[in-house]
Amino acid sequence: MPNFKVAAAFAVAGVMALSGCKIIKTPTAEEAAEAASGGFNPNRMVAEIWDTKVLSYLDRKAGPFTEVAALAGSDPQAAGAKYGHKEKQGSAPWTFAARLSGTIVKAETKSRSAYVEVDADSDGKADARVQIGPAIRGTAIRDTLDFVNFNEFKNQIEWAQFGKAFNTHVNGLVLEKLPRDGLVGKKLDAVGAYPLPAKGQLPLFVPARLTVGG
Amino acid sequence: MKLTRRMTIAAFAAVLAASSAIPAYAADLITIITPSHDNPFFKAEAVGAEAKAKELGYETLVLVHDDDANKQSQLIDTAIGRGAKAIILDNAGSEASIAAVQKAKDAGVPSFLIDREINATGVAVSQIVSNNYQGAQLGAEEFVKLMGESGNYVELLGREADLNAGIRSKGYHDVIDEYPEMKMVAQQSANWSQTEGYSKMETILQANPDIKGVISGNDTMAMGAIAALHAAGRKDVIVVGFDGSNDVRDSIKSGGIKATVLQPAYAQAQMAVQQAHEYITTGKTPAEEKQLMDCVLINSENAGQLETFALTD
Repeated sequence: MPNFKVAAAFAVAGVMALSGCKIIKTPTAEEAAEAASGGFNPNRMVAEIWDTKVLSYLDRKAGPFTEVAALAGSDPQAAGAKYGHKEKQGSAPWTFAARLSGTIVKAETKSRSAYVEVDADSDGKADARVQIGPAIRGTAIRDTLDFVNFNEFKNQIEWAQFGKAFNTHVNGLVLEKLPRDGLVGKKLDAVGAYPLPAKGQLPLFVPARLTVGG
Repeated sequence: MKLTRRMTIAAFAAVLAASSAIPAYAADLITIITPSHDNPFFKAEAVGAEAKAKELGYETLVLVHDDDANKQSQLIDTAIGRGAKAIILDNAGSEASIAAVQKAKDAGVPSFLIDREINATGVAVSQIVSNNYQGAQLGAEEFVKLMGESGNYVELLGREADLNAGIRSKGYHDVIDEYPEMKMVAQQSANWSQTEGYSKMETILQANPDIKGVISGNDTMAMGAIAALHAAGRKDVIVVGFDGSNDVRDSIKSGGIKATVLQPAYAQAQMAVQQAHEYITTGKTPAEEKQLMDCVLINSENAGQLETFALTD
């Protein structure tokens, strides 16, 4: 049976070749945008490296959140060298990879940039703010990876689009499926990244893997 | 008479010879080229670069290209002709400037770019630029918060040929467009200019009196917009800028503009001169050519610490 299909395909192709017809596919909006920007497609770039490189990197690099946060508080350089990454030049802060486990103590789900606050050391107080989208602030996932580099991109716009594509990917893969009700009191486990927070502010964590249960 | 004339010619020839030999003696000239100093941001860059260069023992030549790529090309020729050891450049367009920087490189004069990048690597030695996208996100997040995540707003764009105008707008929209109740009713370029900011705002306001906020690609346009809004008795409209100028700082302190984003202009310019100095004296290039400097949100909480594009502790 499959031979029939192949034969039919050949026949159709033959007829077309003879008649000089050519099928031109109508490009989708994304394909059109890609063509306009000279073949740059950040969403596809992220999708291609997500499972093979991004998740494996985070799994390998991430330390337990409480340890990362403690070391970052006392010696950001040491914490950066062990759990983090930043560009060699410039003034970007360290962005750390961490495994966060704890209990949700607060949930802000009315805002489009929704988040939950998590108690990781069982003292009843929040230790990290986990972004649950759909609007995700910053570019923490991109910035914690040591195998992507601004200098390999044409300019800031493409570098920014690439950073945003990680957030879009996480949204579609993980965050959109997350229920928004009754989150407080539940247990949260996540692997992700966060930039060194400003003094007195909670780490703003972006998850790449996330489970909420019990 | 004849003798005098000959001597005059000889003297003239000597002067010519001397002037063409000047590059050999001008071992310590750094040329600093920026857009017009009418915008205090560019002035701060030039002042910062000049101060650092003098501190390191260089002579300086400070020039402005007024965002005109042709003029920039002539100024690069001047720098080459004067035998500059390095050019510190805030360029006149991310595409148009590639050739000018290449020309300097071909003539043996290294360029150190600040503020704006070009769409090419390997032509300049350094490109030290503000992380405009990160900064725009900070500004947009504050804007969305001030707007209560909903309402009609206006966006004032910078000059189109400037990559930073596009990247800031993209940073704004990547945040704001996540909020479906935020509605942009007008989007116009005011070319980074305060007077255009004023006139564009005046016109937009007539057509759209029901606006709640204005987000601007830089501080000078924001200053123009707030003046137009106040002239029309609209002190309720939320205005957010970008740059971190002293003018906007003062406006924030007196309850006018609500927020801006500080670009470390002064520090950036000084860092470029430092890298130029290292390159001139040791031949060492920075680890990475393109270098991003993070921006800082400025609002009523920290406006008091802002002075000439730098935060004090």
